[in-house]
Amino acid sequence: MSTTQTDPGVSGALVEIRNVHFARGERTILNDLSMTIARGKVTAIMGGSGCGKTTLLNLIGGRLRPSSGQVLVDGISVPDLGTRDLFELRKRMGMLFQNGALLTDLDVFENVAFPIREHKHLPESILRHVVLMKLETVGLRGARELMPAELSGGMARRVALARTISLEPMLVMYDEPFTGLDPISKGVIAKLIRELNTGLGITSVLVSHDVADTCAISDYAYLMGQGRIIGQGTPQEIRQSEAEEVRQFVDGLPDGPVPYRYPAPDYLEDLLQGGPA
Amino acid sequence: MNSLRRLGQYVLDSVEGLGRASLFFLEVASGARKLIRRFDLVVQQVFAVGVLTLLIILVSGLFVGMVLGLQGYNTLSKFGAADSLGLLVALSLVRELGPVVTALLFAGRAGSALTAEIGLMKATEQLAGMEMMAVNPIERVIAPRLVAGIISMPLLAALFSAIGVLGGQLVGVGLLGVDSGAFWSQMQSGVSFHEDVLNGVIKSLVFGVVVTWIAVFQGYESVPTSEGVSRATNRTVVYSSLAVLALDFVMTALMFK
Repeated sequence: MSTTQTDPGVSGALVEIRNVHFARGERTILNDLSMTIARGKVTAIMGGSGCGKTTLLNLIGGRLRPSSGQVLVDGISVPDLGTRDLFELRKRMGMLFQNGALLTDLDVFENVAFPIREHKHLPESILRHVVLMKLETVGLRGARELMPAELSGGMARRVALARTISLEPMLVMYDEPFTGLDPISKGVIAKLIRELNTGLGITSVLVSHDVADTCAISDYAYLMGQGRIIGQGTPQEIRQSEAEEVRQFVDGLPDGPVPYRYPAPDYLEDLLQGGPA
Repeated sequence: MNSLRRLGQYVLDSVEGLGRASLFFLEVASGARKLIRRFDLVVQQVFAVGVLTLLIILVSGLFVGMVLGLQGYNTLSKFGAADSLGLLVALSLVRELGPVVTALLFAGRAGSALTAEIGLMKATEQLAGMEMMAVNPIERVIAPRLVAGIISMPLLAALFSAIGVLGGQLVGVGLLGVDSGAFWSQMQSGVSFHEDVLNGVIKSLVFGVVVTWIAVFQGYESVPTSEGVSRATNRTVVYSSLAVLALDFVMTALMFK
C-alpha cells in the first residue's frame, strides 16, 4: 500500500511526499512512505503512538530532512531549501503543537500578535484589529489579557490556533489537537478546524490517534503503522476496511498485527533464570 | 580496557561538545548583528539578567569589602602599613575579586536562570513553535540574552568593586581608625587606570562572554525533560565557575607582571 497513490477527485495536491525514508540512528521511523495532501481539504493522518506521525509533520515543516525521497509543499522541495527560503515558506504554513507552545512570558494578545510583529510592519491600530479578529474567530476576544498559565488546555490550544492563522497560512498542521481535552473543548477544536478549512480555504493536515473525532471532520484519511501506510481512503472507507491492521486500530483491539507484548525471551526460562535482571 | 575505552569516549564527547558549542557561538554571534534594529530585546534581557542580579552583587560586594578591610588591617598593621589599607582593598577588588566573584555570583543567579528558561522553552516546544512561525530562536531568544550578559557583567563587576571599596572604608576608617585621608590618597596614587581598572574590565568582559555562552548553550542543548533541564542548569553553574577560575589564572598571568 505504500506506492504513490493520489486521492481521486481532487484537483491539486498541496503537499506531496514521495518514497520518503527517515531513520534515527539504527531505527527506521518512516519506510518508503508516499502520501498526497489535497489542496483545500482536511486530511487526517492516524496511527498509534510512535508510528512516525509527528516526524512526518516535521518533515513537511522542514524541521527534519528525510534520508531519501521527496517532500514537496506547493511544488517546492522542502529538504533542498536554505534557511532563508525555508523561513519564507514557513510564513505560509502553520503548525499547532500538542500543548499549544504559547510563549509563557507574553499575554494572549501578544502571543497572537507575535508572528505579525516579527514579520509585518503594521501600525499598532491595524495590528490590534487583526489580532482581535483572529481571537474572535476562536471565541477568545475577551481573554486577551490573560497569561498562558491562566488558560485551560482547550483555551491555550485555541489561542495557539489564533496565532497559527495570524499570518493567514495556506496550510495548517495539527499535531494531536484533541489529546487531553474534555469533550466540549474537543468539539470546539473540531468545529474550528472544519470552519477554518471551509471559511478560509486552509488546507489542513490533522495528525491524531483519536479515530472518532478525527473521522468526523476529515475528508480523507491515512492510517499509519510502523512507518508505512496501512490504509487510506475516506473516513467511511477506513471504517469499513477489512484489512486486519486497520481493523485493529479502528476497533481498538489490544492484540493483533501490533502485538500486545513487547518482545521478550521465553517466560518460563526468564523466571527460572533467577538472580537480578 | 573498558575504562580506557570509556576515557576515550569521554574525550571524544568533550571535544565534540566543544565543537558544537563553538559553532553555536558563531551562529548566535551572526544572529546578534540583527539586534541593532531590535535593541529593545536586549534591553529587556539586560533587565532580566543584569538588574535582577544587582541586589546579590551589591550585598556581596559590601561584605567582601568589609572582610578585606578587617583582614587587610590585621596583616598590614603588623608591618605598620595600615595606611595602605585603601590600596590593598581597591587593588584586590578591581583586579581580582570584583570580576571573579561577580562572575561566580552571576553564574549562580543569572546563568542558571538563563539555562532553565531556555531549557523549559525547549521542553514546552516554544522554540520549535517559533521556528515554525519562521522566527529564528537563535536570533530572537538566544542572541539578546548573550549580548545582555556581555553588557551586564562588566557593569555589575564595577558596581561590586565600588561598593566593596566603600565596605572596606566603612570597616577600615569607620571601625578600625585608619586615617581617612591616607586611605583614599594611597588608593588614588596606587591604582592605575590602565594597569588595574582596565584589565579588570577586560577580565569581566571575558567572563561575561564565557558564562553567558555556557548558560545559553546548555539551555539550548538540554534534553527537553525536567531531569534534562535540571542537569543542564547544574552543568551551567559547574562549568562556568570552573571556566571563570581557570581563565582568571591565565589572564592574571598575562596581565600583571
